Amino acid sequence: MKMNSVLKMSVALLMLALTGCANVQPWQRGDLAKPGMAFESDQLLTTYRQHVAVSKEAASGDTTLGGGGCGCN
Amino acid sequence: MRSLRILLALSVLLLLPQAMALGEGSVVPQLSAPAGDGSTLSLEQFRGQVVYVDFWASWCAPCRQAIPALDTLHQRYKAQGFTVLGVNVDTDRKSAQRMIDQLVPKFPIVFDPKGQWPEAFGLQDMPSSFLIDAKGVVRFVKKGFRERDVPQIEAAIKAVLGEKP
Repeated sequence: MKMNSVLKMSVALLMLALTGCANVQPWQRGDLAKPGMAFESDQLLTTYRQHVAVSKEAASGDTTLGGGGCGCN
Repeated sequence: MRSLRILLALSVLLLLPQAMALGEGSVVPQLSAPAGDGSTLSLEQFRGQVVYVDFWASWCAPCRQAIPALDTLHQRYKAQGFTVLGVNVDTDRKSAQRMIDQLVPKFPIVFDPKGQWPEAFGLQDMPSSFLIDAKGVVRFVKKGFRERDVPQIEAAIKAVLGEKP
């Protein structure tokens, strides 16, 4: 009985894996590479914002551990 | 017990696309696709030659690096029965053409927007390349591309060319 439940659960999980996500093949990633699909549209602005954020948060350890929070690094 | 067998079969089915990737020693499938001039090129036509099949797309940055390097190899060894065959997998032909106009490769290129070739080769990465010998057998597989890979690719080409009768 216990084995049966485990099997049922496994089949359910397998079905979920089969239906959950579309499998994008390596050669089908052209649309994902378009600028409109990026998380941030302006790379320069993103880098600038990241620099400010890192400078401000460096003391508490943001994306890097460098700097002293003066905004000048 | 029967359920377990079904579960195993389904799991194998899930893993099947990975297992079907062409590797060294695999015989290449019969494929054809249109070239830039409107003619149709097939892998069969290249039998007897050593062919380096390179899958590329305009959105793939390493592909852009690879094309000039492969073009150099194509020019260097074409007299010995070697050719590079580019397989473009862009869904937008204009993007592909723009890159061809910029890089002007001399090797033949086929266009496969539906992805029949990469599917048949079981492509796992972009770019990927397959060195195929005169008998149509895959001899070397290269996933990805960096400038420093060129000597390795050239050595593989030379080794296979050296085997030709």
